[in-house]
Amino acid sequence: MNELLGSLVVLAGSVFLFSAGLGVLRMPDSYNRIQTGTKASTLGTILVLIGLAIYHPAWIGKLLLLIFFILLTNPVSSHALARASHRRHIRLAEETVVDKLEEHETDVAGKKTEVVEGAR
Amino acid sequence: MIKRLFILLVLVLFGVMFYNIASNYMEPTELSPLATRYVGKGPEELGAANLVTSVVVTYRGLDTLGEVTVLFLSAAAVGLLLGLSARSSGAEGQPKESKTEASELVQTTVEYLVPIIFLFGAYIFINGHLTPGGGFQGGAVIASGIMLLFLGLPHAKLRHTLLGLLESLSGFSYVLVGLLGLVLAGGFLDNRFLPLGEYGQLFSAGAIPLIYIFIGLKVGTELSAVLENFKGNNPD
Repeated sequence: MNELLGSLVVLAGSVFLFSAGLGVLRMPDSYNRIQTGTKASTLGTILVLIGLAIYHPAWIGKLLLLIFFILLTNPVSSHALARASHRRHIRLAEETVVDKLEEHETDVAGKKTEVVEGAR
Repeated sequence: MIKRLFILLVLVLFGVMFYNIASNYMEPTELSPLATRYVGKGPEELGAANLVTSVVVTYRGLDTLGEVTVLFLSAAAVGLLLGLSARSSGAEGQPKESKTEASELVQTTVEYLVPIIFLFGAYIFINGHLTPGGGFQGGAVIASGIMLLFLGLPHAKLRHTLLGLLESLSGFSYVLVGLLGLVLAGGFLDNRFLPLGEYGQLFSAGAIPLIYIFIGLKVGTELSAVLENFKGNNPD
């Protein structure tokens, strides 16, 4: 029973990993690719590890540590990647409606110049 | 034309050479006498559950000492060369490249993650005689933590005196342990002057864990110093 349940969860995880790979191929710009690559692969990997934990209950401690590590590092690393490419002015897809980071940065820059002018 | 002919000739010669090697190759079906000795006597002689470790640290310990020395020399050379270039460019008064801060999210994660990475590196080299891995691998993991620290907090500085002291002390202790083996046991880097303990336990295999701790500390601090040198903007 455990084996069947664990295998099913691993299968569900691999479906998410597959969709992550598909997203990396299909998405229009690097930000969208980063986004699919992160969300779906985080969930997929965690599901695979949970499935393994059900399959091999003795490994639960180590697998939980791995899940914690992936939860901590995967989103943050893609966040850093996306910010770095934004700073490098990698172009967004044409369909993009809003760019909050751009707005925020011009906002901050505008405030800074205001402060400087006020000091003068 | 002659050049092409020459290249063709070299290719043909290479082909003949490799054909000879490939056609004479025979899959070894049994261990060589030396390997048989290591596999058969290693566990009971040295008490290390990880056979690779007992070969690397004890049977071929002198080679490992040489490798540590090579690493030390290359780290010292990197420090010397990059230090020289930094000083000369500083004298020309070039503006230093400004380093942008990482976002708050990355900084916080780095602060949480770096101690865990250090812990993992220490785990690897302390358990070197039981599980795969050892001093070099653990040291590299520690240096990768330092790398992450520099990526997240570009203005972070390492304490040079502490690093240098730790590096020198661990290198010195490594040689000292080797000499203790020479005096108290069978030869240089012999691990049997400490009790072998129970096979497969953390405190076992004589001096092997001790040696691996020193190697791990030494490799970790050396690679960290190399990273810091490549990062630049040295305060001195």
